[in-house]
Amino acid sequence: MAVQLTDTEIGALIHETKILPEDFRVRIRPRTKRGHKEFEYEVDGQDGHAFLLKFRQNELNTLDFSVILLYIPKGSNQHFRLRRYNGKSHEHTNKIEGDTFFGFHIHTATERYQQQGLDEDAYAVQTDRYADFISATDCLLKDCGFAISNKNRSLALWGMN
Amino acid sequence: MSVEAITKAFRQTVCEQVRIESEGANRFRVFTPFMFNDGDHLAIVLKKEGKGWLLSDEGHTLMHLTYELDERDLREGGRQKIISNALSAFTVEERDGELVIGIEDSRYGDALYSFIQALMKISDVSYLSRERVRTTFFEDVKTFIEENIPGDKIRTSWSDPEHDPDGKYPVDFVIEGTKGPVFIYAMTNDDRVKEAMINLLMFEKWGLKFHSIGIFENQEEINRKNLARFSDVCEKLFSSFPSNRDRLLKYIRETAGMAAA
Repeated sequence: MAVQLTDTEIGALIHETKILPEDFRVRIRPRTKRGHKEFEYEVDGQDGHAFLLKFRQNELNTLDFSVILLYIPKGSNQHFRLRRYNGKSHEHTNKIEGDTFFGFHIHTATERYQQQGLDEDAYAVQTDRYADFISATDCLLKDCGFAISNKNRSLALWGMN
Repeated sequence: MSVEAITKAFRQTVCEQVRIESEGANRFRVFTPFMFNDGDHLAIVLKKEGKGWLLSDEGHTLMHLTYELDERDLREGGRQKIISNALSAFTVEERDGELVIGIEDSRYGDALYSFIQALMKISDVSYLSRERVRTTFFEDVKTFIEENIPGDKIRTSWSDPEHDPDGKYPVDFVIEGTKGPVFIYAMTNDDRVKEAMINLLMFEKWGLKFHSIGIFENQEEINRKNLARFSDVCEKLFSSFPSNRDRLLKYIRETAGMAAA
């Protein structure tokens, strides 16, 4: 059975402190996979929960990317998407609220979407806080309890150009 | 409301939901109401290439699927089949992850509908999601062995103390028998198969004398190359556990030289 989380549990997991090594970005080795680059990185939270960061960057459209924080419940191989920072390559519709928009947007897991049988992170809000893959990553790290050194950032370092 | 009014309202609603916006020279973004399960709409671009026009997803559809699935899963088994069938049924071409359909004789609408159908069909592979909850396969095998083999003959997660004091090359279960030890691996995926294969090869290198058994949770899910290689180093394979319990027990007892309880 799929894991279901309340809004309180989701919030706690998002804000749980997660420490990344200082050379986190240097360690990243994106791989080309059928039209996009991707890499993934597992990190433990200070409360003992396991998390996974997924990074996707389209090779044809730089505005098409996704930076995702997932939670891996113990005793399960299910990945629960807590937050997803998407680029500007498609419209998004919030099925419960009925609003549609085209722009950079942040998906957030919610209790009410799970209760409706929809994807846990099917709710999203439009944002102007980022405009590319790197700034979207910075937003996720800032929003989701990550502690990391911010030195030496560049596109080349990420292997994304 | 008259038939004409209904028709007009219907057309107006449908037409309003499909629109295009320019994104530079010879390039338009196509907006449609069709979306993935997460509310993200299909990504479609109309662009000129050479002398003709085509619709492209610019690699978004397959990338979107990797939010949930491994990209490798899209190249194998049922998912690969669904994708290739959808591509051929709607004459959509894949160009290294980018899905495209050419527009013939200015039939933009026909091409768009075919393209949408193909993308929706492909997005359905997310329903074939991998089993989400960890199985009890390993625990089931362990319980079965413990219930049928004397406890003093079983070693769980054993490693060779002489050659492998750090326990880098463990065996899931070792059955001590009069005909020599039987090494048993219970495997759920390709990684476990590769690990077992490496371990068995290492035991051969060390000159250990043993019999080996591999039990798959579901052999059909194992990559064919991995399976072929593993079958070269493992004596006996069982394609699944529940339907082979009796045969497995019989084989363990015979190989280890044990009498039936």
